[in-house]
Amino acid sequence: MSQISDEDRQALRDGFSRYLEAEADQEKLRAGIASDRGYDNSIWQQMAEMGLLGIAISEDFDGVGGGATDVALVMEEVGRKLVPVPFASTCVVAAEMIARFVPDPIKQDLLQKIAAGQLTVSIGGTGDFVSLSDDGHSLSAELSGDSWVMNGQVSFVSHAGVADYHLLGLKEDGVDSAYLVTASDAVSAERLSTNDPAQRLFTLNFSDAEAIKLEDMDAEGINQVRMRGVAAVAAEQAGATRAIFDITMEYLRTRYQFGRPIGSFQAIKHMAADLLVEVESGTSAALAAAKALDSGSSSAEKFVSLAAFTCKDAFRTVSAQAIQMHGGIAYTEEHIAHLYWRRARAGLSLFGSSDEHREHYLKSREAA
Amino acid sequence: MAILDRSASPEDINSVVEAWLDQHWDSEKRCAKGEDSYDEKAWLTKVFEAGFCVPSWPTEYYGLGLSQKQSGIIEKAFAKRKAQGSARDRFHLGAITVFKVGSEELKRAMLPVMLTGPICCLLYSEPNAGSDLAGVRTKAIPDGDDFIITGQKIWTSNAQEAEYGMLLTRTDWDVPKHRGITFFLFPMKQDGVEVKPINQITGESEFNEVFITEARVPASHIIGNLNEGWTSFQTAIAYERLIMGQGITERRGKSKADSEPQLITLARKYEKYDDPTVRQKIAQALAYRELNGLNMQRAKQEIMTNGSSSLMSLGKLAMSRVQHGEAAIATDLLGNAALLDGDDYPDAANINFDAAKAYMNSIGGGTDQIQKNIIAERVLNLPKEPDLDRDVAFRDVKSS
Repeated sequence: MSQISDEDRQALRDGFSRYLEAEADQEKLRAGIASDRGYDNSIWQQMAEMGLLGIAISEDFDGVGGGATDVALVMEEVGRKLVPVPFASTCVVAAEMIARFVPDPIKQDLLQKIAAGQLTVSIGGTGDFVSLSDDGHSLSAELSGDSWVMNGQVSFVSHAGVADYHLLGLKEDGVDSAYLVTASDAVSAERLSTNDPAQRLFTLNFSDAEAIKLEDMDAEGINQVRMRGVAAVAAEQAGATRAIFDITMEYLRTRYQFGRPIGSFQAIKHMAADLLVEVESGTSAALAAAKALDSGSSSAEKFVSLAAFTCKDAFRTVSAQAIQMHGGIAYTEEHIAHLYWRRARAGLSLFGSSDEHREHYLKSREAA
Repeated sequence: MAILDRSASPEDINSVVEAWLDQHWDSEKRCAKGEDSYDEKAWLTKVFEAGFCVPSWPTEYYGLGLSQKQSGIIEKAFAKRKAQGSARDRFHLGAITVFKVGSEELKRAMLPVMLTGPICCLLYSEPNAGSDLAGVRTKAIPDGDDFIITGQKIWTSNAQEAEYGMLLTRTDWDVPKHRGITFFLFPMKQDGVEVKPINQITGESEFNEVFITEARVPASHIIGNLNEGWTSFQTAIAYERLIMGQGITERRGKSKADSEPQLITLARKYEKYDDPTVRQKIAQALAYRELNGLNMQRAKQEIMTNGSSSLMSLGKLAMSRVQHGEAAIATDLLGNAALLDGDDYPDAANINFDAAKAYMNSIGGGTDQIQKNIIAERVLNLPKEPDLDRDVAFRDVKSS
């Protein structure tokens, strides 16, 4: 349940939205993407300042004590501007995993640092809480004396190049385990070339890297973390979908051909109306998932799956049609449309495909 | 007994309505207590006098001044006992329109009559005015305190039973089409009104053609103002589209949340529920229906906060995809069995009916294509396509 009042939530959203409107323009976005880090660190620090990085972290650890709805609000705004910050991984999934399965005082230290913007966590390996599973990994964790050491290789680890910790899932025979490894000389990161320039993927190599094993990982707890991760990504996609849709509508009103705005042609209008159904459905689904999580509803499982495939598919369709409706101008690298389109494609397999989520949705409807 | 107003709790409202129905309605015989058969007028009058016809309207206009949510409790209690007459503030398009845009005189004279009688019929479309509804040619010519009406209407539901119809007419032929229309509340039970049923692709005959020859309507029955009928009509059509977006044209019980969806039942029965392709299709179809429900919930929330919501206009369009899509999947599930029809093959008969009936949503109340124009122009602010008849006197407009 969220500790934030409706008014505070609205104020938070307005403040963040205004900030991004002023500071996260296309130029900044492209500069961030071109930088080593992959995103503009001043935005991350401002998010810490505004209390957003601790939004899902308990007040006991300098967080705000918000719920999934609050996370969704942040993610929608992040999505609108395509800000490629590691919020979902660090502040939602990692923060939830640490809060649940890491004992004090390490827990306190890590969560406080996350909330303060002093620490990011990348996530890889296998397990339901891992957004990009790598079934081909060769990770192994062994007990050496009193402590665990990690060896082997894993790919598809997002933002691992600048992360302070790596959270690694090792699901074997249906049993989850997870380890936290500090970035050190025992870990090397190699960047992978990606289709979406804003998506930072790495292969990590571990040689006798010291690790902390997470404790008492129960299936229900992991599923909660998974659902919160899925809902966060869905909200980000819903925000991005609306943004590229709005950009496109503005173009349709101002681009003239045949002596009239192209948006006055029915062929275009009908595409726009159809896409609006997808845009609104994405927003509604993301919101319903967050609300179901916050109220502890037994339908949370169902709504989270619904949000997952609805938002993935909506973002994919709307961003693809946005290029089509713009015509040649959006076929150029300098136009922003392809960045939305690439981000939509980059999100297709996060926490599983649309088809997998559709199947899961049907199953959870049967169970209800 | 608790008093029904805005401060009444859901429990209080429910108990008051239940008590009232216990006292007045015989659920076994489906008529008023103490009677042997259902007398619609007498029953509706009872419901009207209790304020349950239009609970969300203010008390000075025959309602109880309740919120939509509170009214919903009354509607549910009536539905549970299959008693008619509640929620006319949601479904009686004629009464709603008169309430919203009618003159004070018309409201006082006609609302009690309308609310205690059958639902009004809608005399809008004509053979040559379908999607381009503002091209109506039914003539209304002033004659003393009356207007004399001559013309032909089509796609009129309930024309046999209706005592009144909401009638779009042409009153000025020398101005562009939208500016010469007058909207009437027209008495149906008179000489010069002939109703002919239309045989539909569903096998039903819910629609009619209505031939009007020199019939009369009092000038006091103009809804809104003379020659400003197009504006008044917008209120009526907006409500109609709203109702359709809630799936009201479907067979009853199809969209019940608590029962297993029909597609799942059919898939099990025809042993295709384990097929992953079928499961994907069913999941997506159920999702479209659920998403439309979520969009409409958000719309209601926005209406409560802001007074209006652009989401509302999406419901009818989204419902077309739901209905045509579900019918297509169901047809595929049945395979050869879908070739059959009739009482001996109820599954086939049902889904063949649904496949045809889906057009009711995607054509009725304005085609999906017209609805997309409306969404694009009014919600997305895309510019209007130039109309060739925009500044032309109606009598000079080309027609087929």
